[in-house]
Formats: sequence, C-alpha cells, structure tokens
Amino acid sequence: MKTEPNQALRISSLFAGYGRFDVVRDISLRIEEGEAVALLGPNGAGKTTVLRAIMGLVKHRRGTIQVFGTEISALPTHRIASGYAAIAPEGRRLFLDQSVEDNLMLGALHLRRDKARVQALIESVYELFPVLLDYRRRRSAFLSGGEQQMVAIGRMLMSDPQVLLLDEPSVALSPVAVDIVVKALLELRKRGASLLLVEQRIDVAVRICDRLYIMTHGEIVDEMNPDTIGHEGIGMINKYLG
Amino acid sequence: MHRRAIPFVRCTSANSYAQRDRVGRPALSAKAGWGTLLGSRSLIVSGGPRLGVSKKNKGMITLFQVILSGLAIGAIYGLIGMALAISYYVTRVINFAQGQLLMIAIMVVAAISSAGCSPWIAVLAGLAASCVIGVLSYVVAVRPILAFDRFSFGWLVSTLGFAVVVENAAAYIWGPTSRPFPPLLNSSSLHIGGAILTQQQLLAIVAAIGLAAVFELVRRHTLFGKLGMAIAADPEMASAIGANITVVAVVAFAISGLFAGIAGILIGPLTFANPYLGDTYGTYGFIAMMIGGGTEKPVAAMFGGLLLGILSEGANALINSQASDWFPFLVLVVILIFTPRGLFSSGNFLLRLRPAH
Repeated sequence: MKTEPNQALRISSLFAGYGRFDVVRDISLRIEEGEAVALLGPNGAGKTTVLRAIMGLVKHRRGTIQVFGTEISALPTHRIASGYAAIAPEGRRLFLDQSVEDNLMLGALHLRRDKARVQALIESVYELFPVLLDYRRRRSAFLSGGEQQMVAIGRMLMSDPQVLLLDEPSVALSPVAVDIVVKALLELRKRGASLLLVEQRIDVAVRICDRLYIMTHGEIVDEMNPDTIGHEGIGMINKYLG
Repeated sequence: MHRRAIPFVRCTSANSYAQRDRVGRPALSAKAGWGTLLGSRSLIVSGGPRLGVSKKNKGMITLFQVILSGLAIGAIYGLIGMALAISYYVTRVINFAQGQLLMIAIMVVAAISSAGCSPWIAVLAGLAASCVIGVLSYVVAVRPILAFDRFSFGWLVSTLGFAVVVENAAAYIWGPTSRPFPPLLNSSSLHIGGAILTQQQLLAIVAAIGLAAVFELVRRHTLFGKLGMAIAADPEMASAIGANITVVAVVAFAISGLFAGIAGILIGPLTFANPYLGDTYGTYGFIAMMIGGGTEKPVAAMFGGLLLGILSEGANALINSQASDWFPFLVLVVILIFTPRGLFSSGNFLLRLRPAH
C-alpha cells in the first residue's frame, strides 16, 4: 500500500496487545500533514495501546505504521523517538528528581550534538509556556499538575517530532490549566504540527481537532467531523463514551 | 578479657595461606586484610617504641588506628558496593558476579606480571578484563532474562551461575591456589597521630573517594548522567524520549566492572591472587550498598562501605578477632529495620529513620 507523501501518519490493520491478548484489533487511521485527529473512547477501549504501539512500547503488534511514508513498526522505541514521533503520556511521567530544564533537555537527546537546534527548540517551548522559563531550575516534583503537563508537552516538542502523540492531556487538571493546555495545542496547530490526541473529554477534542475517531472495545467504530457533528452526533459519542 | 586485649595480633595476616581452606579459598575473615596486617604494626605503635604513652593515649591511638584501617578496607567495600549499585541503578539487577569481577582483575594482573610484563601494564589489562567480564555478565546473564520479562527475578540465579562459571574458569586457568600479586607501591608508611597508614591504604582511600566524587559529578552534571537518572526512574519513558537502554546498560556494567577491578587492584597486594576470593568481597560490597542506600544513589554505597570498614575493624578490636565475620550482618539488619532505604539514600535522614512497616 502506497502512502500519500503528505500523510503524517498512516496506520493500517494494526493489532496490538499484551501477551497473547490483542487489546486493539484491525485499527486503521490516518493523519494528514498539519492535521489534528482525536481518538475518543471509554476507559479500556484501547486508545492508549494505539499510542504505545506507535511508539513501539507494545511488544506484540502487527500491521503497518508509517510516518511520512517511512515504515516505523519494525523500529525500536528509541529510534522512533528520534524524530518520527514523540509522546506526552498519560500521567505525564516526568523525571521527577530532575529540574524542568533537565527534563526538556532529555527530550532532545537525539539532537544533543546540534546545540543551535536544541537552543531554538527550548526557546520555542519557553515561548509556548512562559511559566516554565521561571521554573526552569525547579525540580519537576514540585510543580502543579498543570505545570507538569506543560513540561511533558515541552519534552515531547524538544525532539522536534513529525507526529505528536498526546494521551489525555486534560485529565486531572483544573479548568484553567485545561484552557492553557488547549491554547498551547492550538498554537502548535498554527505552527503546522500533526497530532494525534487521545481524549475522553469531547469538548476538548472538538476545540482542537479536525477529525474524531470513536473507539470502543479495541476497534474504531466511527469517524466524525467536529463541524458536522451536531447535537445528534455528540449524543452518539456520549453513548459510546458511556 | 584476654581476647579483647589482643585484637590486632591475629595469628595470621590476610596474606597467610593459613587463612584459606583446603582448596585455597580465603576464609571470610581474610577480608579484613589491612586491619590484620596493620594490627601487628599498631601493637608496635602502642606497645613497642612508645612505652611511655599513657593508657588513655594508647586507647586513642588504637581507636585512630581502627578508623584509619577501617577507612582503608571500607574504601574497598565501598568501591564494590558502588559497582553493584551502578549496575543496579540502570537495570534494577543486582549482579552477584561482582566479586568475581574484582577477582578477575587480580588474577589477570598476577598472571601478566608473573610473565615478566610491567605491573602497570598488567594493571591496565586487569581493569580491561574486569570491564569486559562485567559487560559479558550483562550480555549473558542479565539481558536475555530482562528481554523475556523485565520484571522477572531470573537474574538472581543467572548472575549467581555466571559467578560460579567465572570462578571455576579462573581456577581452571590459573589453578586453585594463591599466586603472588606484584607490589605496586613501596612499603613505606605514614605515621599519623601515632597510627600507621601504608601507602597502599592511603591510595585506596584517596582513589575510592576520588572515584565516588567523579561518579557523582558525572551523574548530576552531564547529559549521560542525567540520562542514567532518567532510566533509573522510568526506563520505559526514558526509551520513549530516545534513550537506547541496552547501550546505557552495557556502559553501566562496564563502569561497574571498572570499579570492581580498581577495588581488586587496590586490595590485591594484600590478598594475593586467588580465584575464590570474589565471594567474600562481593558479600561485603553488597552489605556496603544496603547499609549506605546505594540502591537509590550509588555514591551512598561508598559511605556505607567506609562505615562498614570502620565497624568491622572496630568489631575486631573490641569484640574479638573474628567479629568482623558476623558483626556487619548484625549492623545491616539493625539499619534496615530503622531505615530500610539505607543510611545515606536520598531524602531527609530523620524522616527515613522509622521502623519498616
């Protein structure tokens, strides 16, 4: 199957899981360059497993995963993280003993010899989240949930990836923090980023994304456009989300 | 009490074959080599040329000697403890073959120098050998286990098995009995406050503290060190930011082999080269790591080792000449009850000082 050159991510017939159990079955989706796509679904639908499979963090997977035409499903995780894709995982998973700036610099591990590029990237992160500049020497453990989410997104951006993967960035955040995160993601969209957003909050997904995939029981059951969803569509999504 | 009066005049030195069992294994008490060796000298210090020294001063000199000897042997324990902690830090695996890495360095130095090469070339070869065997222990005994299941405890057996194989291979190649180890420094000693410190002991203390300091600086202030911290905290996330966990683990095992090898070179002139001496030092390195809290912060194992050395020498001096065989285990149990993460691990010591639940 030939991938369109302007498709940032194309997943075809993906099966992935743990041990002998396939958590996701026959998943196919695409993200065009500069497009934001949401994966909505209830707990246990397999959304996080899709992101983990893209990053190579799930051992057992079949199917194809292509980033701008390059097959990455056979690559080890550290190679995928070297510019193809980067993830802001659920629960942030920062290196809590280390400072904000150390966390960000670790995100740019594969660019460590290109100091000018790393400098430009870190400046762009501080521009996106000015508060992190003030807290750059602070240990990540001492940040609020919203600030930690900013660091997680910043760390993801530091590898200058072609596809951004965000796993429930709004979870356990205050409304103010959610607003900051949403604005940052909209700003990233303006900069031309291609992103796949896993969410349970439909309002957040609709504000950010161009298309929505609805996932339940390990399968994609529907695809929608936020402009044409209407009340009927939202009711249907809510039914899927439980 | 008679036995308390002669702690330093143990009937044998660590170099004596009398302290070895039938196949030439060093007895557990042989690890206190410096205390034993120095003991006879400290007797000279306290009873020989200083007959006019008061009883109180004699006690102080003895105490000071215990501390110096303890620091010297403790530096060796600390280095092995750090070696264990470094590999544990990255892989969460305790390499039970660590003592054998020390032994390999000693055996290689002894073999090469006895063939007529310069002892310093032999030292470099010994350190290289312990690094290579350290990496081999990861490739053979650790990686396959972790690749199968990252949370498996199969490494408990596989690293022990690797230790047995290395030990027996060394006995097969070099024979089961002790061989001479080349003197690296001259035998002159420093007299400090009535106590004696040999050049070899001084080198051990300085080298161990210097290595621990360099390691900590690298860990805290370089990208590679910070990457190690990231892997220690969350290996999967470290991999998701681009860290090649396998490469970092190989480097960590090479560094731990280097630390064990340096410990071997430093203690070699006193133990001689024997293929069975790895177990004893491995055990004491493990205690140093656990007492210090090296599972959280490798440099803490050095502090644990220094403390262990002083306690062992103190036990020999104050209880009886074999007390260092059991006393450190008692200390370990007490410390782990009151501060399960070790005395010098991260965080507030006072907050940690609570009995384990």
